[in-house]
Amino acid sequence: MTVLSLDGVTAGYGSTPVLREIDLAIEAGEIVGVVGKNGVGKTTLMKTVTGLLEPTAGTITYDGRDVTGLTADARARSGIGYIPQGRDIFPDLTVEQNLRMGEHVNADGDVTRYEEVYDLFPVLEERAGQDGGTLSGGQQQMLAIGRALVGDPDLLLLDEPSEGVQPSIVDQISEDIRAINDELGTTVLFVEQNLGVIQTMADRCYAMERGTIVDELTSAEIADEDAIASHLAI
Amino acid sequence: MGTDAFPTGVLGRFEGPNTVGSGTRFWAALAVTVVALLAYPSVVGPFAAGQLTRYLVSAFLALSLAFVWGYAGILSFGQNAFYGLSGYAFAVVVGNLASPLGTTVGVGVAILFGALSALVLGYFMFYGGVRDVYVTITTLVVTIVLNTYGKTASQVFVGSVNLGGDTGVGIGEITLGAGPATYTLVQPATYYVIVAVLLATYLGLRALVNSDFGRVMVAIREDEDRAEMLGYDVKFRKLVVFTIGGGIAGLGGVTYMAWGYSITPEVVFSAAAAAYPVVWVSVGGRKTLSGPIVAAVAIEWLRTTASVQFPEFAKIGVGVLMIASILLLPDGVVPGLRGASRYFDRHGLADGSRLAIDRARRAVGRRVGGPIAVDESSEVVQE
Amino acid sequence: MVNGLNLAFQYLQGFSVLVLAAVGLAIIFGIMGVINLAHGEFIMVGAYATVFGYHDLGLPLVASMALAVGVTAAFGMVVERLLIKRTYGRLFDSMVVTLGLSLVLSQGMLVLRGTSEPSVPTPFGTISYGAFSQSVYRVALALAAVAVLVGVYWLFTRTEYGIRARATIQDEGTARALGVRTERVYSTTFAIGSALAGLAGALLAPIVSVTPTMGGTYLVKSFVVVVVGGPSVVLGTGLSGGLLGAVDAVVTNVYGQTAGSIVLLVVTVVVIRFFQDGVTGFTDRVRDRLAREGT
Repeated sequence: MTVLSLDGVTAGYGSTPVLREIDLAIEAGEIVGVVGKNGVGKTTLMKTVTGLLEPTAGTITYDGRDVTGLTADARARSGIGYIPQGRDIFPDLTVEQNLRMGEHVNADGDVTRYEEVYDLFPVLEERAGQDGGTLSGGQQQMLAIGRALVGDPDLLLLDEPSEGVQPSIVDQISEDIRAINDELGTTVLFVEQNLGVIQTMADRCYAMERGTIVDELTSAEIADEDAIASHLAI
Repeated sequence: MGTDAFPTGVLGRFEGPNTVGSGTRFWAALAVTVVALLAYPSVVGPFAAGQLTRYLVSAFLALSLAFVWGYAGILSFGQNAFYGLSGYAFAVVVGNLASPLGTTVGVGVAILFGALSALVLGYFMFYGGVRDVYVTITTLVVTIVLNTYGKTASQVFVGSVNLGGDTGVGIGEITLGAGPATYTLVQPATYYVIVAVLLATYLGLRALVNSDFGRVMVAIREDEDRAEMLGYDVKFRKLVVFTIGGGIAGLGGVTYMAWGYSITPEVVFSAAAAAYPVVWVSVGGRKTLSGPIVAAVAIEWLRTTASVQFPEFAKIGVGVLMIASILLLPDGVVPGLRGASRYFDRHGLADGSRLAIDRARRAVGRRVGGPIAVDESSEVVQE
Repeated sequence: MVNGLNLAFQYLQGFSVLVLAAVGLAIIFGIMGVINLAHGEFIMVGAYATVFGYHDLGLPLVASMALAVGVTAAFGMVVERLLIKRTYGRLFDSMVVTLGLSLVLSQGMLVLRGTSEPSVPTPFGTISYGAFSQSVYRVALALAAVAVLVGVYWLFTRTEYGIRARATIQDEGTARALGVRTERVYSTTFAIGSALAGLAGALLAPIVSVTPTMGGTYLVKSFVVVVVGGPSVVLGTGLSGGLLGAVDAVVTNVYGQTAGSIVLLVVTVVVIRFFQDGVTGFTDRVRDRLAREGT
């Protein structure tokens, strides 16, 4: 079942389009990556999918419904969990309050996944009463992921999960995402530049160049360093 | 810039992307307006001409705010402060140097005083890092302080002139010149002089705004940080703009004295008085120069007439006008009218109306939550 | 000693008026960044509703005040939906629109009800000391001001709305992308700010003359408090009210009402210039710097 598809999506800031005619489709239970150098429009893609940016052309279909005209919060409440680049946790709210903000996802369900989140990231339970801004980069990443998971989303969006996080935590996080996908069946779409993350997490991935999708790579091709390196700044 | 052709040469300097109106049609319309203005007193008589003089004085204040707000993004409630200070300065100089030369010097001193006050306040704010809304609040507070102080300054003398507290200050007559060559300014000459000065100021600002300087001003209005990063000294330029604005307000103050011969704190420094330029410029269109002038004259005329016929409703009308103008025509009436005429030119009356209604319906729909029903009902609405 | 007591009572009233008038504006400005230039008129509406409830409907004073709060809150919701919402992101436009609204409201009330209203009795009586007597209501007012501050603190730290509002201030985009209904947060915020303005008007009704143009002075006072107070709503309004109340009381006592007003305004300008984010902004930055130096 196709969870998310973009057809001919064009978007940008002001008069110049950053995304041009993006076509992609994600099936339920997949972990799909979008790989590309700096500046190709990866974050813009994420923002367009979440609804923070309105496309100038094309349609976005989620769970069989056309959500192109839907506001960001309405989309989130349909079951899309979002982990922004740079974590963007709420620095003056406590860890627990941050997590509570994630409950709005899947507004029609009563399921909350606090247990799973605390199992995955015990440090969050330890520091539940602390302000989010006092956590380290890696811990904030965990909080951002936990926050996105708490409401039991069907689709998880990650914008460069490795950016600004130390390498050892990055590996841990990639494995955690895989585990979440295995155990909860959450579909994942992420954008990345980090080769290691892509290779650990992705079932398959799209390659982006200058605002459009130029290639699609299978897991075998992802494992092949040369094939994937050509799409990155290596 | 549309289908109007640019005349080259002299007129070209007065046209550009930063002002509305260009080409032969515009200049012809302007010429007709000027001729009409000049003929006005002969047609309607001295009293009506005197009224129009008052409204034209307001136009200076409107221009001064349009300049700093529309072109540099500084919403100032302080133009009235400079306007009033200049009026007072003029009265003080004329009162102390009771001579034609003194009066002539007084004109210059008053305008300079307006500009200088703006320079001082501007320096304090911009070089102190005061941003955006706090600039607006500061200008409003300064104007209110002047009002509060002015009303109590009843035995305060500057030289031999008493500031007069809430009854203010007056001057006798305005005789300019020096030695044997003097000239006493009275109506209707006052009217003609003010029309001439207003026209000159308008054209001067037009040229300035369409020059390189004007382009940078607009860049600063649109995105201050980006202008800074491109290497422009934003603080200095804002200060220059604010000072010029103060000078224009000062010019307005002098013309005000030429019209009315007296000044009180309540008329120039009250919060209500400080709000009117904002009304004129919002309604007229703050990214234009002609819009605010037309709006100032029209609104002041409406307000004065309404105050006589329906005194209670005059202010309510102004309030409604402000609300309606921002909600319906956020860029002001002049650009709105121009846009409307262009639109109907392109689509024709019937099609154009239908398209406009469609667009309005869709816009309203989006504002109240989108064409697609959300989570609660989970229905898919076919586009 | 007696003069000190007089000053103390004067200060209490000054402080209470400043805090009560400003807190609604502080919330709206702090969370939405909107400058509501009709804020003074909202206070006026609260005062009028109280008088109306008491004199025209014959309700007891407390019920009239409750009515006033309800009426102003509802009015605020309508204004937000019709006017404020259309000017989100355009700060100066929202100022012009609310300025227009303030003209309509003050003049409209003048047309509707005339130049002044009958007064509402001041409850609680007086206490005397020596040759002076003071209204106990002044003390009650101060208690009310503190209670409001405590209530607002509770609102923003213990309620779901409060957490959502703080999340929205800290990062609106992320909050929306997580599913927070930010539009609803804004409407609720504006309603709460309006309700507080209405409360201020209601509480003031017994001790000031209720006129259509009374809003003007309270707008200026509220602005001053909010600007000097800085980003923290509770602490900022409280500290600022305390500080400015003291300045006002002292200056007015020695130099008179006009001097008091002028000094307050000058203090505002000085604070804007030298303490960008008001008192609490300054303390925030000091705290941050100390924290950084500690690590």
